[in-house]
Parts: sequence; structure tokens; C-alpha cells
Amino acid sequence: MSDRLSRRRMRLAGLALVVLASLVAAAGALGGGARSAAPACDDVVLNENSWVGSTANVYVIKNVLETKLKCKVKVLNITEGQPSFQAMADGKIDVVLEDWQNFPGTPYEKNKSIVNLGGNGITGVIGWYIPRYLLQQYPQFRTWRGLKGKESVFKSPESGSQGMFLGGDPSYVQKDKALIKGLGLNLKHVVAGAEPAQVARWSQLYKQKKPVLFYWYDPQYLNAQYDLVQVQLPKRFAGCQDDEKKGGDPKKYACAYPSYRLDKLVSSDFLKSGSPALKVIRNFKWTSADQNFVANLISGKKMPKDKAAAQWVKAHAKTVNTWVK
Amino acid sequence: MTELVTERPIVAPVLSHRPWWRGKPVQVALVAAGMWIAYRALRLEYPWPASLTWTSLQFKLDEFQVWLIEQRSADDKSVVFTIFDGFRIFVDELVARFAELLFWLTWVGTTAAGTLLVWRFGGLRAAILTLAAFATFALSGLWRESMETLALMLAAVSLSLLVGIPLGIAVGRSRRVERFVRPLLDSAQIVPAFAYLMPVVILFSVGPAAAVVATVIYAIPPAVRITALGIRGVPVNTVEAATSMGTTTRQILTKVQLPLARRMILLGVNQTILFALSMVVIGGLIGGGGLGAVVNSGLFTTPSLAILAGFVIVVMAITLDRVTEAIAERTDPAKQHLDAAGRRRLRRQSLAAGVAIAGTVLAAKLLGVSSSYPETAGVQERTVTLQAWLLERIQSVLDYIQDPTSWVFSITEPTATFILQKLLLPLQEFLVEGPWFTTLLGLTLIAYIVSGLRPAITTFVMLGAIGITGVWALAMDTLSQVLVATLIAVVIGVGLGIAASESRTVSRAMRPINDVLQTLPQLVYIIPFIYLMPVSIVPGIVAAVLYAFPVVVRLVERGINDVAPEAVEAAGAFGATRRQVLAKVKVPLAGDAIMLGVNQGIIMVLAVVVIGGLVGSGGLGYEVAQGLVRGYFGQGVIASFAILALGITLDRVTQGTRAKRKEGLG
Repeated sequence: MSDRLSRRRMRLAGLALVVLASLVAAAGALGGGARSAAPACDDVVLNENSWVGSTANVYVIKNVLETKLKCKVKVLNITEGQPSFQAMADGKIDVVLEDWQNFPGTPYEKNKSIVNLGGNGITGVIGWYIPRYLLQQYPQFRTWRGLKGKESVFKSPESGSQGMFLGGDPSYVQKDKALIKGLGLNLKHVVAGAEPAQVARWSQLYKQKKPVLFYWYDPQYLNAQYDLVQVQLPKRFAGCQDDEKKGGDPKKYACAYPSYRLDKLVSSDFLKSGSPALKVIRNFKWTSADQNFVANLISGKKMPKDKAAAQWVKAHAKTVNTWVK
Repeated sequence: MTELVTERPIVAPVLSHRPWWRGKPVQVALVAAGMWIAYRALRLEYPWPASLTWTSLQFKLDEFQVWLIEQRSADDKSVVFTIFDGFRIFVDELVARFAELLFWLTWVGTTAAGTLLVWRFGGLRAAILTLAAFATFALSGLWRESMETLALMLAAVSLSLLVGIPLGIAVGRSRRVERFVRPLLDSAQIVPAFAYLMPVVILFSVGPAAAVVATVIYAIPPAVRITALGIRGVPVNTVEAATSMGTTTRQILTKVQLPLARRMILLGVNQTILFALSMVVIGGLIGGGGLGAVVNSGLFTTPSLAILAGFVIVVMAITLDRVTEAIAERTDPAKQHLDAAGRRRLRRQSLAAGVAIAGTVLAAKLLGVSSSYPETAGVQERTVTLQAWLLERIQSVLDYIQDPTSWVFSITEPTATFILQKLLLPLQEFLVEGPWFTTLLGLTLIAYIVSGLRPAITTFVMLGAIGITGVWALAMDTLSQVLVATLIAVVIGVGLGIAASESRTVSRAMRPINDVLQTLPQLVYIIPFIYLMPVSIVPGIVAAVLYAFPVVVRLVERGINDVAPEAVEAAGAFGATRRQVLAKVKVPLAGDAIMLGVNQGIIMVLAVVVIGGLVGSGGLGYEVAQGLVRGYFGQGVIASFAILALGITLDRVTQGTRAKRKEGLG
């Protein structure tokens, strides 16, 4: 009995030793990375939104803060709008680098828990887009009037006899249902869901050179890859509406989307903290070409985010210096 | 995964002897025909009337949200919000401490601790599996994220069990508590988690605490239910015997009921872990971090990374499932029969494992091993993960799928178009565009025929509420998708279930498929289908079918296997062929199990159809998604309640007769 017991014990100890030895050996072979030195500036938390443009902003700023100011930067992925604002008010996020005018009018603006630091240099455009190849056959599609009577060109399995209008990501600003009604077009608003799903849908039709009409925006790195044109919508008039949820006469919505100044937001706590990073956030300004370049490296070329940002920062030392100064 | 309801005893059914033309299917068909005539005659003329709609509700809810936000961020918070905040900070800290511990141990130490602990309590096989799981975390280059997720799970599961097991004991011992708790549990499981994200964010902000709360809401019901089943499963005469010997109520609980319910309680723990893991991705939407965040952000920038992270979640889930199963089995006192020597042996094993863990951690610390598995190693910075290689492989598959000229596409696209044009759209038009009163009455009548009076009243009330809150058309849209997806899932599930009951090979092949499909985050397997079936509603339907059919298979298989062997033998004695036995005896007698499959399947389908709102399913899911991301609180909450109402209706209608018959038989 005790003989068997001790053999078991020996075997167990032996196995434990083998596991231990191999793990230690593996650890030795891989080498231990020492932790980095304490940063000169406190933690900064940036929020990365779902679109790649936002990723480009965040990682370029992260690179600048880390390399030039030795800040410790953390990136969170909280959904745009309400959830991210709540997170800022609670001190979970310090900075949002690209807000598409979701902020004005929220309770957070009223109680001053979040502060708007102005535009990041880019103007956002939202509109109705078609592939350029369609213009060869239907040059009239340059403006919305040309769509009238020709809606069935955009027929799809789910739209029946009507034409299909492919709506945008549920999280994006849109008013297309009211717009279609207001313009009296025979189109069916079909939701494609989140952006990757919408892109999958229209890019596949694009690859097959089929007609497609959809909600789209700029700056967007895919605009360099696909040749798209905007369908001109009626000019904006006084009192023309953009918030579909308010309801009312669809005619009031029958105008183009406004252009959006993309704002930088910081939490009031972060503003008060006097972090050296604040200066960079304040000065941060670039162009949609810059943003598309980085976004294309990340999403088009599948480059790691930090690497893509580093590449841009290296090539634009002058611009970056104006932010740091 | 949804094992719970199946544990209810299945009552031996009696084959009915009514002529076929008086059977239920015919009656349902007659009602449907009536609805169809009304639809043809009065199409589009009677949408839900505005006078029966509570239009200011949305506005009121939005006002309520503003009030909540003001309360939350006020300088002098009220008591309620102070408590909420205290709880939030506590949970945030809890998660942070768990994560710190895992990183402090260093990656070598964590691996050694996990593997050796499992070895001690779960045996060698489970330990090898654990080691393989840690290797997966390391080689996928997602070590840090995996540990963050593990920490989140530790916090969520321990909180769920802390609340769930005592509650389950209370439910198991008292009918009154059960009557009170059951509707809450039902709602928690029927409402897709997506729907309660928004209230959770408002009350708990974003971050680990919010993710933990959302996870706990979802993971408590299995803990409660299975614990209650275990307590109630203790034979009455055992309890009576104990009582007659003069034991107190407390002693009965601790000495009789709990030990006898041990197996079920441990099954409850196992299910709680799996339910919690299925929330990782949704938790990632509100700051849960870890693998969930990788899936969510990867979906937009690098889908291949999202898929890789999804599979790491699967590995984690399957490992935790098998490990808890093994531990429950090995530590069962009923099987161990420990004598003094055996106990001493176990104590020595514990000591050896403890010493080995401490030694490894000490050695790792002395050697300066990093807290998480490094990406590169050595002086030449050689890459030591397989991440880049794996991503390349996954990407090449995705590239192939995205190509609209491939042969796969020429099969999937017409299939999608067929499902859409021949099934979904006609049904959707029928339900949405028919006169509201015939649809409402028709569905109520069908509920009455299928399940009886009480489910019919539930149906009427719930559908009425949906109409009054102003989302009738959206709810009918979602209902049509649920019905189509359930139909497909049940057809596939019953077919495969019968095959699995007849063939061991099929049965064995189903288990890993089942595990993967149930633990892989739904968003991950929607990805390929948005390319393969680019017709807006269909990817969501396919994902729902994939999620639900394994459960149907399992229930049908079990139902058929449980058919009394006497019946099968009797049929065999009369010279029935195997096929006849199957078609005339086994399948009809397994009718209840199949119905149970429909019941479970339909609830699971509903959960995914709502997530489908993210990939173009429209309906209530889109409303919730949009409400959540754009901060339309009113819209999101109304749509969430409509989903709850729809879920309760579908649940009651599909389980009605079974419950009634059981009551009738006592």
C-alpha cells in the first residue's frame, strides 16, 4: 500500500518537475520584457469609434503622445454618441477626436461635463452615392431629378418592383426615409446594417458592375479604391430638417445633408487636469487626405494600427511639430 | 447550452385517435386561410390605427433618460445613485484585481497555476486541455486580451453564483418564491442581451462593471433554474424519512437536499460559465474590453482578427466546459469512496501542486518573465506568435468568399434570394399589410388551438401592447423572420436529430459542431454570410438557424432515444422494419421532445434575429441597435419591450399544451 502510494507520489512529483522545468526553460528562451519606465505625463484615454477614420485619428495621436510626450495612452472602443458621452462624463474616456455633431444639444453639453475643443480640420460629407460607371448609361443620375422614373434600375430581390436605396449603418446620422418620401421617389429604403455589411453589399454589386444607390460619406478610405460619385440632392433651404425622428412633413427634409465639422471633445475633468497631452489635442488638425492615407494602410493594406500611424508621423514631422509646440 | 427546460420530466404522450380532419394542424390552417382571405381583400387598408397608439410614450421615455443622466452626474447624488456608483466601483475594482493577479503571476505562472490546479481536481485529460487552451491564447497573440476576458468572467461568474445558487435553493424549496421569480428569469432569458445594454450603461456607465452586470443578468437564470431543479429532484420520501427522524429544516437542507443536489448544482455552475462567455462580445460593446473588444473593433477594420478572436473565445468556452465537467465528476464524493489513506494521498497531491505552482511563479519572477506572452523574443526580435500567419490564412478565405464570381457565390446567392422572395417577403407582407384586427385575432386563435386559453390570453395582451406602443409593423416584420428561421432550423434539426438517434457516428460528429456554433459569438459567423448572401435580411436568418438548430437536434435525438423500449420491441415483434419503427413508433412518440425543440429553438432564433439588426435584418433589432448607438432611449426601450412581449408570446404558445397535459396527469 505505502509502496504504491510512494510510487504515485514520485510519479506526480516527477511530472510536476517536468512541467515546471519546461515552462521555466520556455520563459528563459523567450526572455522577459522589462516594463517601460514611468511616463512623464499621466494616463490619457482615447476613444476609438467604429469607422476607420476614427482609428486613424486615435493612433496617430497615440503615437505622438507616446513618442514626443512620453504619455501613457490607453485606447477604448465605446460606441459613438450616448455611450461614449456617458463614459466621458464618468471619467472613463478623456478624449473623442471625431464627433459628427452628435454632441450639441445633449445633457452633457448643458451640464458642462464634456467640452468641445473645435474641429479636427476635416469636413464630413454625407450623401447619396452611385458608382461612376453608371453615368455612362445614365448621365442623368448626376442629380436626384434624373432618378425620377428610373428608380427600377436599382431593383433588387428585397425591393420588389421599386428601386433599392441602401441605407447606412444604424449608428450614423441619416434621414433617407424622409428624403425619399419628400422627393417623391419610388425607392425602397433597405437597411444593410452595420457598415461592413453595407460595404459588402454595395462593393459586390460594384464588382459585378451592377447599379446601386446608397448612403455614403467622406472622408472614407474606400473612396480611393472605388470610383464613386455623389447624386446631387436639392440645395439646403431655410428651415430644412435633418433629424428624421422629429417627424412631420417629409417635404421639410427634402434637402441635402449639411456638411459636418468633425469636433474634438474632451471631458471637463481632463481639461482641468492640465495634462501636457491637452496641448496636442487642442492643436491637432489634419486633412481628409491625411486621414484616408492612414486609414487605407490600416484597413486596405492590413497594417498594424501603431505601425501605420508611425509611418505617417515620420513622414509629416513638420505638421506634427505644430501640434506639439 | 440551453439545457435547462429539458430537465422537466417528459410525460409519456398518448397518441390521439381523432380523425385527421379534426386535428390541430387543420384547424390552424383554417384560421390562416381566413386571415389570408382578409389580407387579400383588405390589404394595406387597415394598418394599426393611430388612435390606438400611445404616441407620447417615446417622448416620455426620452425625458426620463435625461433625468437619469442628470441624476447620475449631479454633484450631490441621491442615495440610490450613490449605491449604484458604489457598486460600480466595487465591480470595476474586482475585475481589475483579478486581471492584476493573472498578470502578476506572469504568463508562465498563470499557465502553470491553471494547468496544475486542473490536474489536481480534474485529472490529466482536463489538464492537457487546459495547457492547450493557454497555448492557443499565447500563439494567437491575444494573451493579454484573453486574460482580461478571463478576469471579467471570474468576476461575472462568481457574482452570478453568489446570487444564483441561494436564489435557486429558495426557489427549489418554496412554490411561492418560484411563482414570483420565474417570470423574471423567463424575461431575462427571452430579452436579447442587446436590449438591456442601454439601461445598464445609464445606470452603471461603461466599463467592466457594466459588462459584468449585463453578463450577470444573462447568466443568473441557469444557475437559479438548475439549482432549483436539483433541490426539487431530491426524492420526497428521503426528505420525509429525514423529517420523521426529527431533523430540522436547516439540517434537511444542508445534510440531505444540498448533498443530493450536488450534481445538478455543479451542472448549473457549468451552464452559468457558458452563458457568461456567450456575453463576451456584447459586453465588449460597453467597455468590457478583452477579446470582446477585439471582435467588435476588428469587425470594422480587420474582420480576420475578429474571427480569430472569436475562435479564441470558443477555445476558452469549450475548455471551461470540459474542465468544470471533469472537476464535478472527479470530486464527486459518491464516487470517490475515500478512506484515510486516500485522503492522505489527495492531501499530498494538493501539496505537490501548490509547491510546483509557487516554484514556477518564483522562478518566473526571478527570471523576469513578462506579465503577458510577448510578441517577439530574443535579441533578433523573432516573432513567437502565429498571429500574422493565421490572419493571412483567414483573410485569404475571406477574400475568396468576397469574390462574386466564385462558384460558392453562385450557390449561396440564389439560395438567399429564394429564401427572401419565396418565404420571407410574402410572410412579412401577409403579417404587416393584412388588416390589424384579423392578424391580432387570427394569431390569438392559433394560440388557443395550439396551446389553450391562457396562452391565447397572453398572446392577445402582448400583441395588443406591441400595437399600442406603436411598433406593430416592426414587430410583425421581426415575427416573420423568426417564423421563417425557426421553420428552417426545425426542418434541419429534426432531420439531423433523427439521423443522430439512428447513427452513433452522426451523434458523435454533432457534439463539436454544436459546441462551436453555440459558443462562437453570433456576430462572428454572420461575417462570412454578409458576403456570401448579400441580401439584407438573409445573413441574420442564416445565423439564427445555425445558432438554434443544434439544440433542436439534441432534443429530438434525446426524445427518440427515450422512447420506451417496450414500444419499439413490440413493433419489432409485429415484424415492422427499422424504417417503420422509426416513422410509426419512435417519431410520433417523441412528439413532445420535438415540440420542446421548437420551443427552445424559437427563443434562440429570436435572440439572433435581433442581433441581425446589425447586418440588415431591420425590424425591432435595428430599432434597438439604432436606439443604443444613437442614444434614442425611448425608441430602444420600446423596441426592447416589444421583443420581450414577442418572446413571451412565442414561448407560451409553443410550450402550452405540454404544461397543461402534465398538470392533467398530476
